Amino acid sequence: MLNLQGVDAFYQDIQALWGLSMEIREGELVALIGPNGAGKTTTLRAISGLLKPASGSIQFLGADLGGQPAHKIVALGISQVPESGRIFTGMSVLENLELGAFVADARKAKDSSLKWVYEIFPRLEEREGQLAGTLSGGERQMLAIGRALMAKPRLLMLDEPSFGLAPLLVDQTFELITKINREGVTVLLVEQNIRAALELASRAYLLENGRIVGQGTGKDLLTYESVRSAYLA
Amino acid sequence: MSKSKIAGIALLVLAVAVLAGLPLVIKKDSTLNLLVIVLLYIILASSWNILGGYTGQSNLGHAAFFGIGSLVTRQLWIAGLPFALCFAAGGVSAIGLALLIGVPAFKLRGVYFAIGTLALAQILNVTVGNILPEMSYNPAIADYQLVPRYYLFLALTLITIGAGYVFVHSRFGLGLKAVKEQEDAAESLGVSALKHKLLALVFSAFFAGLAGGAFAYYHVSYYLNMPFSPLWTFDPMMMAYIGGTGSVIGPIVGSVFFVIIKELLVLNVGEYHLVIFGTLFILVVLFLPGGLVEAWQKIRRALSHWTRTQHRDMAPTETR
Amino acid sequence: MLESVLQTLIFGILVGALYALAALGLSLVFGVTKFLNVAHGDLLMFGGYASFWVFSLLGLDPFLTIPTTLVALVLIGAIIYRVLFIRMVKLTEETKIKNTLLVGFGLSVILQNLALRFWTADDRGITASYSGVAFTLLGVRFPLVRLASLLTALVFLLALHLFLRRTYTGKAIRATVQDWEAATLMGIDIHRVYFLAFVLGAALAGVAGTLVAVNYSIEPSMGLNWTLKALIVMVLGGLGSITGTLVGGLALGLTESATSLLLSNNYREVAGLVLFILILIFRPQGLFGTKEA
Repeated sequence: MLNLQGVDAFYQDIQALWGLSMEIREGELVALIGPNGAGKTTTLRAISGLLKPASGSIQFLGADLGGQPAHKIVALGISQVPESGRIFTGMSVLENLELGAFVADARKAKDSSLKWVYEIFPRLEEREGQLAGTLSGGERQMLAIGRALMAKPRLLMLDEPSFGLAPLLVDQTFELITKINREGVTVLLVEQNIRAALELASRAYLLENGRIVGQGTGKDLLTYESVRSAYLA
Repeated sequence: MSKSKIAGIALLVLAVAVLAGLPLVIKKDSTLNLLVIVLLYIILASSWNILGGYTGQSNLGHAAFFGIGSLVTRQLWIAGLPFALCFAAGGVSAIGLALLIGVPAFKLRGVYFAIGTLALAQILNVTVGNILPEMSYNPAIADYQLVPRYYLFLALTLITIGAGYVFVHSRFGLGLKAVKEQEDAAESLGVSALKHKLLALVFSAFFAGLAGGAFAYYHVSYYLNMPFSPLWTFDPMMMAYIGGTGSVIGPIVGSVFFVIIKELLVLNVGEYHLVIFGTLFILVVLFLPGGLVEAWQKIRRALSHWTRTQHRDMAPTETR
Repeated sequence: MLESVLQTLIFGILVGALYALAALGLSLVFGVTKFLNVAHGDLLMFGGYASFWVFSLLGLDPFLTIPTTLVALVLIGAIIYRVLFIRMVKLTEETKIKNTLLVGFGLSVILQNLALRFWTADDRGITASYSGVAFTLLGVRFPLVRLASLLTALVFLLALHLFLRRTYTGKAIRATVQDWEAATLMGIDIHRVYFLAFVLGAALAGVAGTLVAVNYSIEPSMGLNWTLKALIVMVLGGLGSITGTLVGGLALGLTESATSLLLSNNYREVAGLVLFILILIFRPQGLFGTKEA
């Protein structure tokens, strides 16, 4: 479904991604793991169109994304829940969700999407009219994910959804992500919580200093020596 | 010293000599008046540039210093005091005003400084217009002589340019550059940003105030609040930008260019010079921040590159 | 005595609503795009002239000239955006504010002098057929023209409020103000939002210009003063809030009126400017805004 080939990306003169190649097949839950500063967020930004790759190609559903602007990529079916959610704090929960369904196709199905999101996150329905800025950390994360779902994405990308959450909420979040994946949404999960990510994912890529240094099934990587010693010790 | 520097100095000396000797040759008042306008603009644009160009703090209230200098000089002169004293008082009053508004104004960062100084100047503009709405008449009108006034402007212009040059190339000017680049970093190195900016403002204000004094000496009659008009900030500012704010010569180029364009257009298509100037100003801000000076340097570089390649073609036996 | 105080109060409110409308466009543009278009007052001036000419040539009621003025200013705003401001979209915020201030200033010079060439420096005003009519309540005069202007200003304030609150496009604009990257991730085309905000801002300036032409007079150099008024209202009311803009406008209007009552009419403007500087120094986020870096 999503295919990156030899992607190079730069921030000004600093190269952040080096010949990145990875693949995500439909229905999968793929994890992208690695230490701080490895380039995981950069990868998501490149896919979402917030950052233009200097070389290489990104293909989605067979078509090259070719440096299209970010808002068009959303319309193609890729949604991202950015780091720390970035909900619109000055707007209500409902308005946030409505904005999630901004793209034309999603807007037509707004009501059914809303129902679906409220099924997954009943707490959001309770807080429908509340200002998003007054929500707790966990609720904000829920809202961010729910908002991304409103776009009816084919591919949902999450950037460290568990960051800053209490352990109980972390488990809940991961359960929800699995549930969403089971309902047919392909998921690309970026996480620093390596163990949880690897247990969830069918496949994973290990990213270090802008390069893929390992890949395999979740279980494979869990036992991979360097992963164990570097991150799980 | 490099060849181009010698040439530059020679040109400067020549220009000054020509300007100084001009009244002896040309007796037409209109020419001298035109030159006075050019010189006045050069002084205002150069003085504005000390703060605006070198520190990047756009002072939109420059007219206030021009205004206060002219007001103080004019009123004292009409009261009967010797002109030299009035002239000096004008400059000093501008310094006073700069210190007064500088301290609170520099509390404002970025764009707030610009609109804050604009508001301050407007307050003065309106207040003076309220308190002293009358036309001011020159008491010495019987023995009005244009030539000494011309020389006053010429001298003031040379002093302003010279002082500006020395100021910018001094240690203080270096500190100013540091403040412009990265204010916080400069502060951490012990460069007091406020002191530097304040001194630049005072410097800038002083010469604008003296220009005001010269203006008061030059004009037979005018409304006392006229020099406070924001036009006396905006026109020089545009000249500085179009000429090039990064150098001492930029404002000079801009001022001369402005008056030439104005005179040309007035003769042909009417008073559209400001429309053209506004457009040029925008073009400079968007595409050519170094102004005409930068454009000239680019042309020179392109020319020298071209002549070098020509040379190469004409001397095929030259080994590389 | 009470009557004159009341009269002053009422006039302060009437003129304050006009100030709020004048500031509304600039506040919207700055809030969304971070462009500080100091030619806003000159757009207002053009709006005034547009209405003046339609009024003079077609004899329409001044308030009926508003639709044509809106169309004219939408066109002018679109051209200005496409030719000039679009080039500054990608700058960092501080540079953007500084450069748009300079470009706006250059634009102001151009617009002023074009107006001067086209229409001369003479003061123009629109005198409605009912300009002398006034209601009197409790000894206070309520001129009909001023009331109609108040109503117009409130209508546009309300219309913008509803647009921003109830429509998808309006919500997209609000989202862009809060977090433009997140807005992009919703599929919102930021460039369209910028364009729309700018053009809306110009249109609002135009309507304000109509009201100025009806209640006062217009001439080519009035732009700077009105830009300043808009800036004062913006700083008083804080950014990003229509209510704030209204309150800011009223505050300015009342301050000016009080000054003209207590001091003299000549110092109306000065009072506003002094207030402006005080707020800038002591509370730059305005009476409503939140402290931003």
